[in-house]
Amino acid sequence: MELGVFYILAAVIVVSGLLVVTLKNIFHSALMLILCLFGVAGIYILLHADFLAAVQVLLYVGGVTILMIFAIMVTHQLTGKKIKHYNEQPVPAGLIILSLLILLIVSITRTAFEVADKAEPMPTVAVIGRALMTDYVLPFEVVSVVLLVALIGAIVIARRD
Amino acid sequence: MSVKQLRTEEMLINMGPQHPSTHGVCKLVIKMDGEEVKYIQPHVGFLHRSIEKIAENRNYPQFVPYTDRIDYCASMNANHAYVVAAEKLGDVEIPERAEYLRVIMAELNRIASHLVWLATFTIDLGAVTPFLYAFREREDILDLFEMTCGQRLTYNYMTIGGVGWDIPKEFEPKLRQFLKIFPSRIDDYEDLLTNNPIFLHRTKGVGVLPKETAYEYSVSGPSLRGSGVKWDIRKAEPYSIYDKFDFDIPIGTEGDAWDRYKVRLQELRESAKIVEQAIDGLPGGDFKKKVPLTWKPPEGEVFCRIEAPRGEMAYHIISDGTPKPYRMKIRTASFCNLQVLPIIGVNHMIADLVAIFGSLDIILPEVDR
Amino acid sequence: MLELRPIFDAIGEFLNSILPEFWVTIVSAFGTGAIILGVASVFVLFFVWWERKVSAHMQQRYGPMRTGWHGWLQTIADGVKLLQKEDLIPRDADKLVYLFAPVVCFVAAFLAYVTIPFGEGLIVQDLNIGILYIIAITTFTVVSLLMAGWASHNKWSLLGGMRSAAQIISYEVPLSLSLIGVIMIAETLSMVSIVVQQEGWFWNWYVFRQPLGFIVYYIAATAEANRTPFDIPEAEQELVAGYNVEYSGMKWAMFFFAEYINMLTISAIAVTLFFGGWHAPAPFLDFIPSWIWFVGKCLLSVFVLMWFRWTYPRVRVDQLMAFAWKFMLPLAFVNIILTGFGIYLF
Repeated sequence: MELGVFYILAAVIVVSGLLVVTLKNIFHSALMLILCLFGVAGIYILLHADFLAAVQVLLYVGGVTILMIFAIMVTHQLTGKKIKHYNEQPVPAGLIILSLLILLIVSITRTAFEVADKAEPMPTVAVIGRALMTDYVLPFEVVSVVLLVALIGAIVIARRD
Repeated sequence: MSVKQLRTEEMLINMGPQHPSTHGVCKLVIKMDGEEVKYIQPHVGFLHRSIEKIAENRNYPQFVPYTDRIDYCASMNANHAYVVAAEKLGDVEIPERAEYLRVIMAELNRIASHLVWLATFTIDLGAVTPFLYAFREREDILDLFEMTCGQRLTYNYMTIGGVGWDIPKEFEPKLRQFLKIFPSRIDDYEDLLTNNPIFLHRTKGVGVLPKETAYEYSVSGPSLRGSGVKWDIRKAEPYSIYDKFDFDIPIGTEGDAWDRYKVRLQELRESAKIVEQAIDGLPGGDFKKKVPLTWKPPEGEVFCRIEAPRGEMAYHIISDGTPKPYRMKIRTASFCNLQVLPIIGVNHMIADLVAIFGSLDIILPEVDR
Repeated sequence: MLELRPIFDAIGEFLNSILPEFWVTIVSAFGTGAIILGVASVFVLFFVWWERKVSAHMQQRYGPMRTGWHGWLQTIADGVKLLQKEDLIPRDADKLVYLFAPVVCFVAAFLAYVTIPFGEGLIVQDLNIGILYIIAITTFTVVSLLMAGWASHNKWSLLGGMRSAAQIISYEVPLSLSLIGVIMIAETLSMVSIVVQQEGWFWNWYVFRQPLGFIVYYIAATAEANRTPFDIPEAEQELVAGYNVEYSGMKWAMFFFAEYINMLTISAIAVTLFFGGWHAPAPFLDFIPSWIWFVGKCLLSVFVLMWFRWTYPRVRVDQLMAFAWKFMLPLAFVNIILTGFGIYLF
């Protein structure tokens, strides 16, 4: 049953991901992106990473894509307009994409994926929290500083003076 | 693309004629920058019934019912303005009892009209409950009117030469009872609104109407007094018998929506005071002087103004000696007051625009006539 | 006694005895879904009628009186009327998005009920991330409002949709932070564990240890549910009806349904996290079934929300934002810091 759910989710993710890049209406693309990210959250749940799934929905669906939609809605030139998907350089773009595809296929087939033998710790939140505050406290703080910088940067740009 | 190359666009919106808070059928064409209103153009005329032209084809006494329709929230005051003007034109002396009854009715109608204003204003701000509280008191007044003239909205009560009907026996006790409870009811409204921080934030500093702008656009009534001008025709040029009563003219200081609110609430109390004095001093005798339907005023013209709940209501009548006026011009307060909306409404949020529109107390049939 | 858990256990055993495991999973999943949908719908029907009665009595009138005893059938009559209404879709609307917006709104509102404990053992699934799940899943509401606002192709609804997005994102932050205090004390995200920790007398309820957190939560939740004084996305007097201005019939009813469901959701979270969930205020009152306590507390909270609505004017959109970022957010942080000190000291 888990496998069945996985295939359904994977199909949702792939199809919606394709639609994100192919749909002509940017608002529809954004909605498809939400569906895609929601599918990813489903995969996380299948992997018993429930905290990650909730955060995925909370931040990506509730935050990031909403802000994207918000931006689309206020820019009245974009809504309802059909967007051109192609530019004049299909050959170099195709080459790059092809090489990326080859790279991915090679790396996926050659990697030996390790399978954890012990059961995932429950509840996950406590373990993640402890890890963030002890072993990974430095990266955690660095990320906070980066976010703070982004915040201040946004304020500086948005300030009217 | 750098930030400087980005351009913003204003959004054009038609607010009305079908919009819940344009108080009837006013259409505001507004341009908005985000939530901020940058440009307002009121479009009026949806309710135009050419009452001024109709007047030229009616005998003088026949025109009274039409005045009801000029301001249906304050029909008594609209009646009053017309009959005072017509009587001045024809030099008609009216019985003293009629004068007292007119003042009682006019002031009661002022209270009713201000209550309608309070109700709609609070609804514009999103508070629904004070609406029904205000209508509860208005109901009492309408009962009094119905008792007297059988009508609840368009009274056709005052006639040239007096008033149409005398008050019935039950009128006085009911009125006294109303006057007794009314001040405490005003306290109720104040409890709900005056000390409510959300209400304060929504009205203080919103739609400031400076004195000079008010003069330039000849704003009148409570909206003018809210800007701190002590101008009330009842005191400045007393008509009827207003010089016999003791009452204050409340004024504001800043001219914002809050001041207009405070002025109107205070006027409720002052009007109640006038009604009380009038009912105490109500003399006996005749309540009307017979004026024939084909009443002919002498040739000439008259300009007469009164203080209606929304401001100055004036009649300019030109008579050519026939039973019908040659020309009649009606000056209504709402028309002038509406003109300041584009001035004081810009650079406010759209929510404030609604509040400002409400605080000016504009009634559309009066704008269009 | 009147606890409902044994009944469900009995049904589960019965299913296990006649069906293979896979089908038991399927049947119980759909069954619980149907039960939640039914219960919540009954609540909504009741709330709509109740709100009309509450507002009426606050405003010195009777409200619905003609349909049944004191008009209790009014909501059903309204529902029938809405079903019969012509279903209008504006010509320029983005049809697919327009159709899906109410569905998303409706589903998002219902999904929260997966992890709300209605009584002792009455929970669909006690997730480890309980409260976080609810916060995450309810963000879909804002997606639906944006979809509705955009798809209607109406400037008023666009404004309403934008307002709702800005409002809900802003209030999500203090809302989430206000709950952290409780989570810090409880050391768990599971709704059931949080309730279990508040057993005993009513002073064990977290509201007495987290008064500040509760106040911030309740205000932010009122804003999240678009209730007056924070109902600016639909602000009838400014935006006509905001995002749902073009909707009619059952599509509109779904938005309406979702709004009342959200009211119950925020009340249920408040009760679970701050008011002891299904526990009686005093141990000797335990003879009353737990679900009655839970529902009773929820109804009280819903009543308070109605009380807000019929008392206050609406705040302005910039005041709303300023309030969220300049007052609620610092207050939520202060609460977290105080809680931290409290845990450290005691």
